[in-house]
Amino acid sequence: MSGETTDREHNKATARILRVLSTYVSEAADFGVSELNQRLGMTKNMVHRALTTLVEQGYLIRNKAGRYELSYRILELQNLAQAEPDFRTLAAPFMRQLYELTGESVSLAVRADDYTVFIGAVETRKLGAWRTQIGALRPLHASASGRVILSSFRDADVDAYIERRTPMRLNRPTGVMKPTDLWRAVQSIRQRGYEIARRGANPVMVAAAFPVEDSEGGLHGVIAVGGPEERFDPEAPDMSQPLHNLVNELRARTRLYAAEAP
Amino acid sequence: MSADKEAARAVNTSASHVFEALRIVANAGEPIGASEIGRHLDLPASTVYRALITLEESEYIDRFQSSARYELGAMPHLLNRALLRRFALQKESISLLRALAQESGETTSVSVRLGWYSLRLAVAYGSHDFYHRDRLGEVSPLHASLPSRVILGALSDVERKRYWAFAEANFQPTAAERTLAQNAITAMRRDNVLIEAIATSTEKAAVGAPLREPDGDVIGALVLHGPIVKSGATTPPASVAAAIKSLEAAIAAAPAKFASPFADMDPDDIRITLPPKPRRD
Repeated sequence: MSGETTDREHNKATARILRVLSTYVSEAADFGVSELNQRLGMTKNMVHRALTTLVEQGYLIRNKAGRYELSYRILELQNLAQAEPDFRTLAAPFMRQLYELTGESVSLAVRADDYTVFIGAVETRKLGAWRTQIGALRPLHASASGRVILSSFRDADVDAYIERRTPMRLNRPTGVMKPTDLWRAVQSIRQRGYEIARRGANPVMVAAAFPVEDSEGGLHGVIAVGGPEERFDPEAPDMSQPLHNLVNELRARTRLYAAEAP
Repeated sequence: MSADKEAARAVNTSASHVFEALRIVANAGEPIGASEIGRHLDLPASTVYRALITLEESEYIDRFQSSARYELGAMPHLLNRALLRRFALQKESISLLRALAQESGETTSVSVRLGWYSLRLAVAYGSHDFYHRDRLGEVSPLHASLPSRVILGALSDVERKRYWAFAEANFQPTAAERTLAQNAITAMRRDNVLIEAIATSTEKAAVGAPLREPDGDVIGALVLHGPIVKSGATTPPASVAAAIKSLEAAIAAAPAKFASPFADMDPDDIRITLPPKPRRD
């Protein structure tokens, strides 16, 4: 093996060590070797070596139960002059990964009073795609992302929204949403945890919109991906799991931060 | 040496280089270029380059505004947040801090004792505070900041003696820092509250008060960082006293929950290289 190849292999091993450390961005306070081995798909030997290195470097501590937890020396790795990451910064790598996974357009939305405002997008270059107008306001009931936001409201606040906004116009010539239809959508999102919306014909467009929670049980906003049904099925067995895994990884990060006050 | 052991040692050396590069980026204080990192590490450029690629791909460092210079990436930030979340006092205090900040317009925070340091666990910024100097995650030796001095003043004499020995060996406090700390200790022993002058006001002072366990041991401090009480006052505002009472009641009801995750360690064993202070110019 040439020196360069050996170096590259060592860097791969180091990347695995960093991946083990990154696992601590999760709800769990400590991990054992077997859990990490299952979670990361590394051999127990690799996990054990990574943990040993991270303890030697000072970033993990082995606790009384023999499990590994973050050490206070993580505090050395901060720059107080750098701004705290906001929702867009936290979501950016996941928007790219969702696009790579699906090949379809991805959007990021937040609430502004009774409206959804789109604050970011990765758009596919394929034909027949959702177009996201950054900064445009859409009533909450009129998009999959907005209905996800509505579903996080208390029941009385959903009713108050309906009262304020009736007739709830949709973005098509004569379309109006009935209160019962909005309630059905809200209940289904609460039950399923996300929204799958289909609309149009030839092609039928489908969107999957996921709530992105903050540290206090509120929402930072919504991440959504959508495209023509003939290309994109968020519920297909080979798509659903990786899609949810990515969204859950994003949520593990956003749950460390409080949403900015509207 | 077996081939396996040799390979493991080589990986360890490579990992050491990568972590050393990460620490250089963290300690630089501002974005730093690859060649400067290389000078610090004294390694071939190709080795440095690969270390930086590994760190960047793993989100531990990032390019500063798409330039060729690096700063810390999202991952260290997230790990710090994950560490702070392990202190139950963070969640318990944040809504109280927000209410205090809203009422006063000044930044309020809760810090905890971590060995011979204080660690700022929760902050609510006030509308009067443009600078946001008092950052989440800030660590300071027990003589070197207002929350630190509240905690130092609430320690027993025996513990304070141990602290000064540690401080002498590790921080070498200046005479002025010592005087400020001594004054704080005197005030804390007399009033159980620290009302301390700040640069931005001659008439009003900032206020800090200790958070204690039922047995009297200090676990942290609640601080209002802006000019909030008359200089020379000896009691905290009623809203601060009420917030302290509420937090201490929560701590008394579940002491184990609110104990620091590092409470079992000897404070002399907890040594933290302090990150650089933000630039003021």
